[in-house]
Amino acid sequence: MRSGTVYILLFMAFAAGCLVGFGPSGGTMSLREVAVSDNAPVEEVLISLGEKPLVQHLDSYDTDKAEMGRQLIEQGYVDYKSRQGKRVSINFVCTDCHNQVREFDSEQENSPEARLDYARENGLKFLPASTFWGIYNRTSFYNGDYFKKYGELVINARDTLANAIQLCAKYCSSGRYLENWELEAILHYFKSNELHIEDLPLTAEDREKLSQTERLSPEMKQQLATRISGMVRREYPATFLPAMARNQRLYGKGGNVEKGKFIFENSCLYCHGGARVTYLDLNDRHLSARKFVRHLKDYDYFSLYQVIRYGTYPKTGRPQYMPLYTKEKMSDDQLNDLVAYIYDLANEEL
Amino acid sequence: MRKTLLLLFTITTTAALSQETTQTFNSTRIINGHSVETLGKRVLEYRIEHRFGDFAGENGGIQTAFGFDNAADIRFALEYGLTKNTMIGVGRSKGNGFPYRSLIDGFFKYKVLTQNKAKGIPVSVALLQTMSLTYMKRVDDISQVAYFPEFYHRLAYCSQVIIARKLNERGSISINPTYVHRNYVSADDQNGLFAVGIGLNLKITKSLGLLAEYYHVFDDPDKRLDRKNSMALGVEYQTNGHNFHFVLANATGFGETQFITNTNTNPFIGQFRIGFSITRKYKL
Repeated sequence: MRSGTVYILLFMAFAAGCLVGFGPSGGTMSLREVAVSDNAPVEEVLISLGEKPLVQHLDSYDTDKAEMGRQLIEQGYVDYKSRQGKRVSINFVCTDCHNQVREFDSEQENSPEARLDYARENGLKFLPASTFWGIYNRTSFYNGDYFKKYGELVINARDTLANAIQLCAKYCSSGRYLENWELEAILHYFKSNELHIEDLPLTAEDREKLSQTERLSPEMKQQLATRISGMVRREYPATFLPAMARNQRLYGKGGNVEKGKFIFENSCLYCHGGARVTYLDLNDRHLSARKFVRHLKDYDYFSLYQVIRYGTYPKTGRPQYMPLYTKEKMSDDQLNDLVAYIYDLANEEL
Repeated sequence: MRKTLLLLFTITTTAALSQETTQTFNSTRIINGHSVETLGKRVLEYRIEHRFGDFAGENGGIQTAFGFDNAADIRFALEYGLTKNTMIGVGRSKGNGFPYRSLIDGFFKYKVLTQNKAKGIPVSVALLQTMSLTYMKRVDDISQVAYFPEFYHRLAYCSQVIIARKLNERGSISINPTYVHRNYVSADDQNGLFAVGIGLNLKITKSLGLLAEYYHVFDDPDKRLDRKNSMALGVEYQTNGHNFHFVLANATGFGETQFITNTNTNPFIGQFRIGFSITRKYKL
């Protein structure tokens, strides 16, 4: 054998070694593992493990459609290249109520306390609706008590993302149904922000299995699929609470003022600050706070204990309304924190 | 994804740092004149304004139910926010007959500066340009203003700089240097007039406030013998979408081309009137 041929064979052996994980990286993961496991969409991985595609399954997303979807979500209408659409709602855009980023440290967490802590650490708004982050991977929408608010309208929306989007566009935002191309654009946008393997808390063992799925038995594939699927948040529960019992209300005489301040600034003022979404213009000064403190014990829209739990309703001539906060989006303790801050604010000296 | 997160964080941080003063005044008007405020983008406002007859004096008192029997002037208007800082409006008013009636007016207002503590901007400033047109039937008496030899004689204009400051959560002040030009006036009047308005707002609660407004006209006292300066007091009530003004004013007309130039009623002998303004906002 000539020396040149030996070198070529040695190089090929080295390259093959790198591909199967014996390269000079020195880590526990092979190059192939990194390439496959981190960037792979969760849904594709699950399909490769034998799971059925999601109802909203798309093989891939179109970047133009995804951009139009982003515009619909963030500005409420499309103005992209030659395509111009009508505004979906004159009252709201999706991001008035929905964040678009992760809201919890762990996908297993769902408590309002954990959501608030994560929002404070990461400078997020504390909004009444669930985040769009990972919505493409969800299987259930308008869960739990949303039936109480929207009745049978939620039946077709509960298992189909497209129907859920239409319900939100028409009723939640007091707007109109989306045209097919708009709905498709939003689905492509959601697809472009779907969960990837890197978003899940996989162990080294999980990653190892993922890197050699072709060697796994059908049973092991199913187990792995079940495990990965269990890491994906498929739905957000929604529990409507009645107004807090009067003997549990602190009326500002207790509660965490610092947390309350964050909630006021990142929930209330997000819509009411500078009358951005509604005509009720609030700020972090005592006149705004006094308006609420005066009504704390009343049964009306200006009682925070009432309006946070029931919201307000659209009516003829005034389609704007305030959405309610469910038990999962704001706890009673957090509501007391909010009232504590507003109470302090109302009593500030001029 | 990381870029998106970064962008969102930047937007959030930028918004948090922005400390633009809002609600220097609750309405786009102080009482008769404009305030520094503009309507929000895509907000349509319907405005109804009314001024009754003299409260007391020769033409008031119990015989006219303190002016309620008479309508000095009535105005209906539609106004619209083109952008966050730009608004336009058109209105129609009866006109008080002095010197003419049947008026259509329009205006353009642009908020140039917004008071901002973080950026060290101490005042809000808006520029206002208005125009009014009377379409009343011309009279045959050549000595009257309403004779209108040419069409453009029916027009009047007002340019105004509105400088306002929110002093604290309760109090705001506005200084409004103004120039009014009427194309056609009587022999004892002046076409161009300078005036300075001052407006005050005192908020008692978030919804309830007191208003005061005075316009001083720098005119030739030898020419404009019977003219008076416009002065008004008001109570304001604000709801979610509505704004109500209940006022006492000596001026009988609406719009800067009327109440600044054509006020000849003396409030100190009962020639002031009750009035109101109601506005309703709609988001388009």
